[in-house]
Amino acid sequence: MNVFLQELRSQRRSTLIWSLSLAAFGSLYLLLFGAIRNDISAFEDVLKNFPPVAQAALGFVIGTLKTVSGFYAFAFTYIVLCGAIQAANLGVGAIGREIGGSTADFLLTKPRARWSILAQKALAVLVLLVATNVVLLAVTIPVAAAQGPDFDAGLFVLLSATMFFVQVIFASLGLLYGVAAKKVKSVVAVSLPGVFAFYIVGLLGAVVGEDAIRYFTPFKYFDIGYILKNAAYETGFCLVAVAVVVVAVGASFAVFAKKDVQAL
Amino acid sequence: MNVIEIHHLTKSYGKARGIVDVSFDVEEGEIFGFIGPNGAGKSTTIRTLLSLIRPTSGSATIFGKDCVKQAPEIAKEIGYLPSEVFYYDKMKVIDLLKYSASFYGKDCTKRIKELAEYMDLDLKRRIDDLSYGNRKKVGIVQGLLHEPKLIILDEPTGGLDPLMQQKFFELLRQENAKGATILLSSHVLDEVQRLCSRVAIIKEGRIIKLEKMSDLTRDNYKKFSVECDAAADARFAVDGVSNLERKGGTVSFLFKGDVDGMVKRLAEVHVRNLWVEEPTLEEIFMHYYTKEE
Repeated sequence: MNVFLQELRSQRRSTLIWSLSLAAFGSLYLLLFGAIRNDISAFEDVLKNFPPVAQAALGFVIGTLKTVSGFYAFAFTYIVLCGAIQAANLGVGAIGREIGGSTADFLLTKPRARWSILAQKALAVLVLLVATNVVLLAVTIPVAAAQGPDFDAGLFVLLSATMFFVQVIFASLGLLYGVAAKKVKSVVAVSLPGVFAFYIVGLLGAVVGEDAIRYFTPFKYFDIGYILKNAAYETGFCLVAVAVVVVAVGASFAVFAKKDVQAL
Repeated sequence: MNVIEIHHLTKSYGKARGIVDVSFDVEEGEIFGFIGPNGAGKSTTIRTLLSLIRPTSGSATIFGKDCVKQAPEIAKEIGYLPSEVFYYDKMKVIDLLKYSASFYGKDCTKRIKELAEYMDLDLKRRIDDLSYGNRKKVGIVQGLLHEPKLIILDEPTGGLDPLMQQKFFELLRQENAKGATILLSSHVLDEVQRLCSRVAIIKEGRIIKLEKMSDLTRDNYKKFSVECDAAADARFAVDGVSNLERKGGTVSFLFKGDVDGMVKRLAEVHVRNLWVEEPTLEEIFMHYYTKEE
């Protein structure tokens, strides 16, 4: 498990910063709810006058802003976006950093099978993502609960957990990219455009009103409106999410097992 | 017994040259030199042995085990020092070495201290604060800390000052005396000549010569330098002579063949001075590299 521990060690500081930043952002936004809860109706009236396209693009669902979870959902879209970037960084970097920084020569000449190295790296990424979500929940749940007696903890957790799922998807896609790319010179130069591309696809889908486009962006696998209305996820998209992760991780193992690691 | 056996190893990269039909063996306990200029295929061969890249065809075994299928097992007994060393910049030297040791499942603390002291390496510094030469020292300690039975060195001395090179070679000799087999790739020929008992010469991806160092330098070739009139030069342009060149009053050439015949030819000209020497590896190498062009 030495590779696993080393990956945790090398990413702990960055993960801590990401976790605390996301938690701080979520909490600050939740505190706003307390400040404007009495004016929510007026607030919604203004939003209603937005063209439907703008409403869809911004991602708020009229009629849900009156509850803490519904109000949180609006900002949560952006928390998920940030979380996706963090996850893509971890995924791309797991192997991409080793090959890009030429430390792969060191790591891959050690007495460890490649599948073992990849498995340990992937597990470390998973643990770091779990930790990020635990921190986020541990901070935001008490803050949300403090906003009023009508707080629905179950729904809040259901909503918050979607970040973890989206992160796992992006980490898996990132992992595959890091393994398959010839050389990743800069992790962020890959993860940022990648994540934003998927995000924009989602925005376009919402604007165009084309439902089929939802299959092409992990950001739309967990529809906030649906979750708020039904307190559940859409089974079909859950299966799509699982399929994407399984295929991406499986392909990563297959590609990495046979990958040629070139000098410089 | 052979520690490394390479059978018809080929690696092609589309249009770019890799290696073609490379075959040679490295015997247990020897220091084997692998020479050729940059880009000839030394690193490709070594990286295939280490399973960093996969052969297109052919195979290789180390300790009798298949390089591709049993790579992790083989790696336990290999110490590898690449030409350019890269480590995790933010780690301290000692942490990197401990991480490296953690792969071998044995306590290497004492050995790390000994090697670091010998190589004059500060264990407390961060990798990214180290000079090129000091990084190389980290590479040396890292490659030897688990007392490998096979040491593979790919252009190892770049960045080391002459004093450190000496110490490093001395260290290699000690390891060799303890039983370690060494495969040393280099284009610095005098270091190969000083260390190695056998050499393979690789040119454009193919092995063109595989011989004992002693045979290569002693039995096959003589380097003749003759101080005589330029008019006599043509007399030496016979079979077995190569690298014929004149500098000032002296003509020199490499000769392989019947020495008696050459002495008789020399007797026909007015010789003011004569040197017959064993050529350096570099001269032999140049001979192989120029003769086919």
